[in-house]
Amino acid sequence: MDAFLKAGPFMAENFSLLLEKTGEQLLLSLVAVLISLVIGVPFGLWLGHVHRGEFLAVSLTNIGRALPSLALIAIFIGLVGIGYANVLLALIILAVPPILSYTYIAIDSVDRDLTRAARGMGLTPLEVLWRIEVPLGLPMAFSGVRTAAVLVVSSATLAAVAGGGGLGDVILNQVAYGIEGVVAAALWVAALSILVDQAIALLFRLVASPGVKRVAAQSTSAPAV
Amino acid sequence: MIESRESLGITFEKATKVYPGTSAPALDGLDMTIEAGELVCLVGPSGGGKTTALMLINRLIDLSSGDIRIGGTSINDLGPIELRRKIGYAIQQTGLFPHMTVGENIGVVPRILGWDRARIRERAHELLELVGLSPADRWVRRYPGQLSGGQQQRVGIARALAADPPVMLMDEPFGALDPITRTTVQDEFLAIHRAVGKTTVFVTHDIDEAIKMGDKIAVLKPGGLLAQFGTPAELLTAPADDFVESFLGDERGLKRLALFTLADVASSEAPGTTPPWPRLPESTTVRAALSAAMAERAGGVLATRGDDVVGLAPLDALVHPDLPEAVA
Repeated sequence: MDAFLKAGPFMAENFSLLLEKTGEQLLLSLVAVLISLVIGVPFGLWLGHVHRGEFLAVSLTNIGRALPSLALIAIFIGLVGIGYANVLLALIILAVPPILSYTYIAIDSVDRDLTRAARGMGLTPLEVLWRIEVPLGLPMAFSGVRTAAVLVVSSATLAAVAGGGGLGDVILNQVAYGIEGVVAAALWVAALSILVDQAIALLFRLVASPGVKRVAAQSTSAPAV
Repeated sequence: MIESRESLGITFEKATKVYPGTSAPALDGLDMTIEAGELVCLVGPSGGGKTTALMLINRLIDLSSGDIRIGGTSINDLGPIELRRKIGYAIQQTGLFPHMTVGENIGVVPRILGWDRARIRERAHELLELVGLSPADRWVRRYPGQLSGGQQQRVGIARALAADPPVMLMDEPFGALDPITRTTVQDEFLAIHRAVGKTTVFVTHDIDEAIKMGDKIAVLKPGGLLAQFGTPAELLTAPADDFVESFLGDERGLKRLALFTLADVASSEAPGTTPPWPRLPESTTVRAALSAAMAERAGGVLATRGDDVVGLAPLDALVHPDLPEAVA
């Protein structure tokens, strides 16, 4: 209890340190998520559009569920060694499955009558994807990005083990920062995850057209973000 | 625009479709000529190939053999995308894109054809007025989810007409509507069809709808064979085989009465005294009029125009609508 009470003053006294570490962690996470998006989204869009890849999507989701993220990252670092690039790679491996499988499901599950109507009207496959499937799949795809981002931001704490920096530097260094420092940084990580989650929800509201938001609000299968 | 009546006929020449992995054809050697401006209903049981025949026209599926010509040009001479942009396509109400407003839905094809905004807007307004969603300003910014089934279907028709295509394909467009809305939308669509004169191929599983809507009806039977192609009157008076007869149902004789209206059968001489019969607008079908007379145990019905009685239709005239003079 004492540690919790002291966490507040610790945050106040070491605000610039925490900010610096937060910055490191966010940058690492952002790079990992962006690379994962570049890998996962195009594959998800393509597989969903051609309605193939159910096996892949389901397998990826299951692997993601079966392996605790921290265990995965620890195993991975154990296998390939420490270093910023390796941590980054581990985080990418963590983030690609939810992004890819959610994107796939988002596109694959768009009502086939709608895509038939679109094709029947003379839209090219790319136009069907861009004008119909992507807008209608957007809420679900964003759920995948949220899941991935929260996973990455929280897991990135472990980067300290491998020399990647971030708030883990504080959490894993009780000798230097005391127990109150560990608790303060841990609370900080929790808050960061919530902030990232909300930031992506906000991003969805910014990029989604009014029509997409309306559909998202009415749909039960794709909870509005 | 709407006044333009560009319209092209469609010819099926031994059109055959065998789906991969099946041995029996879904559509077997269909030979049929649809004249420019005609509304042809494709009817038949599930598995009769009616939707297959429709989707072959705009190449949503490709022919296994044979050919289909639109205005003399083989559909295979155009790329599928180019072909489809010249063909209006409407399906059940689910075909509206829920994330687009009514105006955006109607504007989809004009937009990909590169029309400017003002022209698309003007076209959307014009079409909404045409399909009875008036004033257009009230509807154009709504979303499909804010409309009733009947209103959605009207938007679907407007969307299919957007780029003024010479041919319209409609796949059970009114299938999801309740009976009352369905009747209204059918009437409106018939009025639009008469106004714009587009060659229309209309798939339905409902023979009554086909009799009401079709200039001609093509009955397809299992195995994708054409059982009969003719006007509703031809089908009802001379079904080609047992299949068509059973498909038309037990009430074939009564259904035929739906091809006539009171204006066709009522005697025009002004009656001295009007009998206390039910009064019905002269546009009422003879079948409905007969039903009304029977329900009230009357000896006939009175045809009205506005508030005026313009003719008498006794039971005899209702029962023999094609021989009104002889009976009168």
